[in-house]
Amino acid sequence: MDRPINSASPPPGIAIPRRKWLGSVLIGGALAALGGAVALLRTTGYESPSGIAVLRVLAAWQYAVVRAVARRMVAADRAEGVPSPDEVGVAEFVDAYLVEMRPAMRSDVFRLLRYVEQIAPIGSGYRRRFTELSAPEQDEVLLALEASRFDQLRAGFQALKSLVMMGYYRDSRTFSILGYGGPFVLDPAERTP
Amino acid sequence: MIVRGRELTHDFEDGADAVVVGTGAGGGMAVRELARAGLKVIALEEGGYHLPADFTQREEKMIPMLFQDRGARTTADFAIRVLMGRGVGGSTIHNTNLCKRTPDEILDLWARHFGVVGCAAQDLAPVFDEVERDLSVSEIAEPQRNPNNQVLARGVAALGLRGGPLRHNRVGCRESGFCELGCAYDAKQNVTKVLLPAALAASGQTVIMSDVRAARVLHRDGAVTGVTGTAMDAAGQPIAQVNIKAKIVVLAASAVGSAALALASGLPDPHALAGRGLRLHPGAAVAGFFDQRIDGVYGIPQSYECTELLDFAEKSDRRVWITTAFAHPIGAAASLPGFGAAHMALLRRYAHMAVLTAMVHDETEGRVTLEEGEAKLNYVIGDSDRAQLARGLHTCARILFAAGAREVVLASIPALRLTRPAEVDRITTDVVGPHKLPLLSVHPMGTLPLGEDPKKSVVKSTSEHHHVRGLFVLDGSLFPTSIGVPPQISIYTFARHLAKHAIERARA
Repeated sequence: MDRPINSASPPPGIAIPRRKWLGSVLIGGALAALGGAVALLRTTGYESPSGIAVLRVLAAWQYAVVRAVARRMVAADRAEGVPSPDEVGVAEFVDAYLVEMRPAMRSDVFRLLRYVEQIAPIGSGYRRRFTELSAPEQDEVLLALEASRFDQLRAGFQALKSLVMMGYYRDSRTFSILGYGGPFVLDPAERTP
Repeated sequence: MIVRGRELTHDFEDGADAVVVGTGAGGGMAVRELARAGLKVIALEEGGYHLPADFTQREEKMIPMLFQDRGARTTADFAIRVLMGRGVGGSTIHNTNLCKRTPDEILDLWARHFGVVGCAAQDLAPVFDEVERDLSVSEIAEPQRNPNNQVLARGVAALGLRGGPLRHNRVGCRESGFCELGCAYDAKQNVTKVLLPAALAASGQTVIMSDVRAARVLHRDGAVTGVTGTAMDAAGQPIAQVNIKAKIVVLAASAVGSAALALASGLPDPHALAGRGLRLHPGAAVAGFFDQRIDGVYGIPQSYECTELLDFAEKSDRRVWITTAFAHPIGAAASLPGFGAAHMALLRRYAHMAVLTAMVHDETEGRVTLEEGEAKLNYVIGDSDRAQLARGLHTCARILFAAGAREVVLASIPALRLTRPAEVDRITTDVVGPHKLPLLSVHPMGTLPLGEDPKKSVVKSTSEHHHVRGLFVLDGSLFPTSIGVPPQISIYTFARHLAKHAIERARA
């Protein structure tokens, strides 16, 4: 579907344009999918997140993508009393984390979210947005992204995974999953007056 | 005096004998040496000024606070995550306190191939001695070895490999295991605990300014005239201009930051050398799962090493350093392979996990460039270094099995899950390439190398720029090649050794 970004490995030390890859992927993917996927490219039709404070950086559709990805990546086992990514607030954390990120890097994340939502499903044979897929379908899309033949997409998957894991495993309610005793010092935010 | 740039209410202008840009190992040492010489020094640090009470042992707060780009910095192709310090003290705030001297063979190589003079092993030995005394460097004794490091020592012994204890700069350590998130107990003998207090005590004129991003080194007629920068508020937004006039400027903002500043300042560079020669010491991790609890997250990290694959002879085919590399929950979750239920199943065995890392003494040369005013790290690991990394990870897996691991996991794509020692041969060069395995760098170096030949080096052996009088470089940028060991003590020592030339220039 897409033009290979790194079809031949460049020699050591040679520069690769940093911010062009996702743009290339998006443009290539969008062109390839043109005709059948125009509806997907809209970012309307997303409900505003309810029950949370106003989003600082993410748009409603980006918030929905992060939340959907987190639900599949973490797959919390509710039967054992482990909190879900929604309860921990993974998407809210990602929103806050991105506030102080350099604009160029933040833009990279936004492009990645757009790719996951609008283009990646097409690569797995779906003509619906990622957030509209069933859980097994979303897993299939994420697996394809993780093992993509395009180096940069695999890197994008890893970046998204890192964000989600930071958002989830920061919460002390998740420490029991790991048998982790947690920090020794109290966070000022947790100290009672 | 400590000045928090984020609290400035108006532009800041001042004059000084010397401006030091960056306050990590090199900058911190430079500030102390210049202050002790009676000079008025102003140090500019991009990040914040943090006290031990600020180090809350929470990854999600400390990583964005203490690392460049909130911990998300990577090479330009996103293949290697590059963790670099940000804040007063630089990487000495969050490193694991490793102190390994620059190998004599490396110093000899620099003298022979790069024309570096005055930095031979015999020149530096007494300086290393002095710096190690200053920083209270000592060997981590066996009783202090945590279970993860015991696994490494046990596996090394079982296989008959070369290994031994490591030396650290820590006093009053509580063995909590949170070194990489800043020490809440102030047990690191680092820049903020040792060097800056000495600098402030030596001269009432010393100023440490946090939250100031240097924008340009000012120069005219072949000599520096000062530094201009911007103070930023807590959210990173510019709030004031900072202009310092000085006849000495010391670049000590890391191999990335110093090179980026040199490029942004339009310094004379007739051979286009600035930013070239970037080395990263790329590495990767292997996890082993044991029947018994390891609890590798607690205790002193990285207290034992395996040097079986490390030989500093020129053109050596053994260029891998092996040590432990345990991570806190967020780091572990991001590093273990896969996602979903299988990923969580691995994490449920976290307490039974030991982790080793293989770090390559790299030959690959990358380059720091500027893009839209920001540093860009162009580095694609070469085939030879990939082969070294594969060899190192292969040995890590052997060590883990020899120490009793039931399963060894490599987070490659697809993941390698090995249950028998005979399977370690599945770890080949094919599975360790960029984007096939999470790669990590914590030791950027090179980019403004020293030497006597202006066609090969950016600064002289004195660390003064070949073409700009009064401009010195005193950080890891100086190194003409990889040094193959953690660079902290080398950077301290080179800065201590070469700062005298900046002092002489200031007095001239």
